[in-house]
Amino acid sequence: MGYLRRFATGAWSLVVGLKVTANHLFRRRVTLFYPHELPDASHWGGPIELVTFPATGTHDCIACNACVRVCPSDCFTVEGKRPEGAKKMRATKFLIDFSTCSLCGLCIDVCPTDTLQYSQRYDEAFYTRNETFNDLLAPFGEDPTFAGKPT
Amino acid sequence: MTLLTGLRDWIAGFLGEFLATWLLGAALIMTFLAFNVLFLVLAERKLAGHFQRRVGPMEVGPHGSLQSIADMIKLLGKQILTPVATDRFVYLLAPLMVFLPTLCVASLIPLTGAEAFANQPYGLLVIIALSGVTVLSIFMAGWSSNNKYAVLGGMRSVSQVIAYEIPVLLAALSVVMIAQTTNLRQIVEAQANTHWYVLYQPIAALLFFIGITAETNRAPFDIPEAESELVGGFHTEYSGMRFAMFFFAEYTNMLVLGALGATLFLGGWLGPWLPGPVWLLLKTYAVIFVLIWVRWTFPRLRFDQLMSFAWKLLIPVALLNLVITAILVHGVG
Repeated sequence: MGYLRRFATGAWSLVVGLKVTANHLFRRRVTLFYPHELPDASHWGGPIELVTFPATGTHDCIACNACVRVCPSDCFTVEGKRPEGAKKMRATKFLIDFSTCSLCGLCIDVCPTDTLQYSQRYDEAFYTRNETFNDLLAPFGEDPTFAGKPT
Repeated sequence: MTLLTGLRDWIAGFLGEFLATWLLGAALIMTFLAFNVLFLVLAERKLAGHFQRRVGPMEVGPHGSLQSIADMIKLLGKQILTPVATDRFVYLLAPLMVFLPTLCVASLIPLTGAEAFANQPYGLLVIIALSGVTVLSIFMAGWSSNNKYAVLGGMRSVSQVIAYEIPVLLAALSVVMIAQTTNLRQIVEAQANTHWYVLYQPIAALLFFIGITAETNRAPFDIPEAESELVGGFHTEYSGMRFAMFFFAEYTNMLVLGALGATLFLGGWLGPWLPGPVWLLLKTYAVIFVLIWVRWTFPRLRFDQLMSFAWKLLIPVALLNLVITAILVHGVG
């Protein structure tokens, strides 16, 4: 009797398994056709980047080095100098070693001018070690503050 | 059809009637089987994807429909390696021999009710005998490769096929008892007068299905080529077109045994509106669809589970089914 019952439950479990896969056959795909279709990265915390403020059209890094001090993995290199006639410092060099960054977000929290944020980049891949250094000032180009035109 | 007879008559001008028919028939069957393999490989990958809510190959051709052609070209272009210290003659012979039995069996399945087509009085016996020969070349491949995984795969294949041929044979026998013949054409014609034999012999049909799953080395009975244990099993050391031969044989075997199942239990070429061969193909592909469905649902059995399943469950049930069928056939008349 026990043998028969075991046989029946076993056979029934096979039928249930077939039903599960048959259901999947008619359900919507979960595949994303990656190069043709891009994922929604709006909630994604990618490599750290500088905020572009719409009011000024540039970042607001004052080279206070708060992020350098708080960073647990020492990935920042920040240098700055004071433009002539200005009160605040201005960053002249802002590098993040992405190979050691753990994306903990402490720098974002500590930034006094809120000029650091997570980017929405998700396809970071490099061929050489030097490429893992993200130059955060590069997208802003030549800084007009230092070109003799104080803001 | 007129084109075929014209072609045959043209070839007969050079080689004589008999050779021309033989050559043309073999070429036709080979062509069909080759295209069938391409189709089945694609179907397997697409279905495997959809069973897991993926989509399978999508890039080559519309919805990936040319993927298996691309794969075939890749396999044709690959280097054919022969490892050192193999049993060279057997190693080269195995991939050539592996699909000969399935080719012979494929030409024995009756496609239509036309007179004299696959009208072998002992067709079923020949088919079952021939499909057992496939395992010989699988073992040749495993043995000659000089590789411990290949030998294990080959030996597993032998013991598995020996165990699972018996339920297949017994299931087929119970059909033979009802139809009173081993001629596949007459078995189908007998189903035209009554119903499909799957209604009279549901247990035999189930046993037959389980048996052919094991004989075609497909999951959950794919222990001869269990990837996680044996790398590739018996075809570990084969590359390029030699590997493709084994692939070809495996999928052709699926088609042939599926067609045999359709002939025995699902009424072969019988069916309204459409011509006979189309019905047979539809039924065969239905069986193959279930084979693929089962493969992507169940995990692989352990070797001892596989053996005890065959010897302790399938064979006793098949024997019991056979005895009951015999009593009923004798009693009812």
